[in-house]
Amino acid sequence: MKNLVRTNEFTLAAVAVVGFATLAVATDFNLLTAGTMDAFLSFLAVPMVIGLAQMVVLAVGQMNLSVGVLTGFCAMASAWLMVDAALPAPLAVLAALALGALVGLLNGLLVVFTRINGFIVTLATMTVLEGLRYGVHGTGTYQGYSPGLRAVGQASVLGIPVVFLLALAVAVVAALFFRRTVSGRRLLASGGNPFAARLSGISNDRALVLAHTLSGLLAGVAAVIVVAAFGSVNASIGDDLLLPSFAAPIIGGVALVGGVVSVTGTVLAAFLVRLVDVTQAQFDINRRWVDLIIGAVVLGAVLLGRARERLTGGAR
Amino acid sequence: MTTATTPPAAPPAPPAAVAGTRSRTLPFWANPRLGLVIVIVVLVALFSSLTPAFLDPRLTLAPLQADISVYAVVGLAQLAVLSLGHMNMAVGRMAALSTFAMGLAYDRLGVPLLVGLAVGLAVGAAIGALAGLVIARTGVNSFVVTLALDFGLLGLVTILYTRATDGVAFAVKPAGLAELRFDTFADYCLGEVCGPRVPLVVPFALVAALAVGLLFRSARLGREILMTGANPVAAQLSGIPTHRRVVAAHALSGLLAALAGFLLAANNGAFSANIGESFLLPSFLAPVLGGTLLAGGAVSVLGTVLGATLTQVIYKGLNLLQFSLEDLKLYIGLVLLAALSLDRMRAVLAERRAVSSS
Repeated sequence: MKNLVRTNEFTLAAVAVVGFATLAVATDFNLLTAGTMDAFLSFLAVPMVIGLAQMVVLAVGQMNLSVGVLTGFCAMASAWLMVDAALPAPLAVLAALALGALVGLLNGLLVVFTRINGFIVTLATMTVLEGLRYGVHGTGTYQGYSPGLRAVGQASVLGIPVVFLLALAVAVVAALFFRRTVSGRRLLASGGNPFAARLSGISNDRALVLAHTLSGLLAGVAAVIVVAAFGSVNASIGDDLLLPSFAAPIIGGVALVGGVVSVTGTVLAAFLVRLVDVTQAQFDINRRWVDLIIGAVVLGAVLLGRARERLTGGAR
Repeated sequence: MTTATTPPAAPPAPPAAVAGTRSRTLPFWANPRLGLVIVIVVLVALFSSLTPAFLDPRLTLAPLQADISVYAVVGLAQLAVLSLGHMNMAVGRMAALSTFAMGLAYDRLGVPLLVGLAVGLAVGAAIGALAGLVIARTGVNSFVVTLALDFGLLGLVTILYTRATDGVAFAVKPAGLAELRFDTFADYCLGEVCGPRVPLVVPFALVAALAVGLLFRSARLGREILMTGANPVAAQLSGIPTHRRVVAAHALSGLLAALAGFLLAANNGAFSANIGESFLLPSFLAPVLGGTLLAGGAVSVLGTVLGATLTQVIYKGLNLLQFSLEDLKLYIGLVLLAALSLDRMRAVLAERRAVSSS
């Protein structure tokens, strides 16, 4: 019990519950009405998945700067397939996922074969993808594609949006992957101590490629959610996702050096950031205060983690 | 000539200042700086043959030199912390905050141009030092700290601009700003002798590059920063106050970011909120193309200036050939990947040859 209370996840959960309750009371329970709740959860789906996409590469001690732009590119590509190539929606969705995974795979292969730092490689691919994302349809906007997909994007089960359930399912799968599967454990072992991992017969290169591929795949999932839930996409999608993609795992207690992941922490952190967003919208606060607050929260969370580590003497 | 702006920067950072042991054992063609010079020369020749307008001194070359000045200083701002193996994700926003301070000083206090610059540099150094202090005290990864700072400053700068100005920029134009923006040395003559067509902002960048080069090459402070970057534990055991060196490097980064913000404001002719928005990618491009590692412990100032020159030559050239901004990004990214892969291949080949010949 004591151990549970001390975890980062517990602190985050407590803060999330208290924050949510406070906001609900402060808005005269307007927050709990069906419409508001629906919007709250729908817009939580993308930050959750994108945070997980970053978390997967952080697990092996890498970073993926291309994650936001890749989401935008996949979204534009699948919209193009539906509108201009007149492909059915399921195929376009599969194509978005495959495209994300493919770009991720390329990132991974570049990192492994050139031995260039992943930060730089993804910085370069981010720049390339920015050009490609724009190249799909210029400054134009795609809308009015596949009514079926739009219906899925706006549907809800028992008052909970389907896209949020999808994001939650992705999180569960990610958690199971890191906890139960051999590949997931290998990824973490390689991230925690590459040398020891190699001596134990784990291919660090394979772990790097796998992590980048999964990260790309998750960016593809985020793209599908964007296309389904928003109803219109243009070349600016993904621009504002890069910083939140780091904020969620870092607040959630994922170490940048690799070897440690926390799916629950990442999801809770995305929830908290969303809470700050909604507070801003509800009280009509200057949008810019949100950035200020999130910056403070990121730093505060990391400092808190440090302090806790010191107090417990690193007894983990 | 575009390349004419770079040779004066050569003295501060001979390759020997970079990875001293490697340059002694490897053949000269393994030097990434040489490759950059060749690529720049080839590209300049290519662009000038495709569009003669590329060699127009007034319309192309003077603005190009002004752009190179800005982005070379941006690269140096990142280089200052790369020397430690750190990153500064807030480099653009530090520039934005500093230029806000400059604009405020000109607007409310009516200070002369250089005094305002000094105010901005002080603000930049202070915010950089703050980042360095948090990193040194808590031991938290520099990426996280400066990322959080970037978030915070993003909000702060916008709020400050909406409070202090009507829109997104200061209306004030301090005396001398217009000259800094439009004039070249060719506009100033001593009798018969006129200066070259070099914009007035170039000397600022040159002085910065020389100073940073000298710092890392000859000054005790710079050498100690590099040692801290190469091996913090060894540096500490050798009696180097590593915490203070971390703070110093980050303060230098903030100061250079502020200078870059000032130069961009001079080029644009206004102190506006969007300054620094486009700094993050070029800040890494220039040093990394120039052969500075992310691992810390070795820097190349000349390489950074050359890296900035290369990117700006590509931008300007493709721009003249009427490529759209988004196409430019595509090609810049591909060039970066190609350059890095080639660099890697060259290093591997050179190492092999060094091994087989010894």
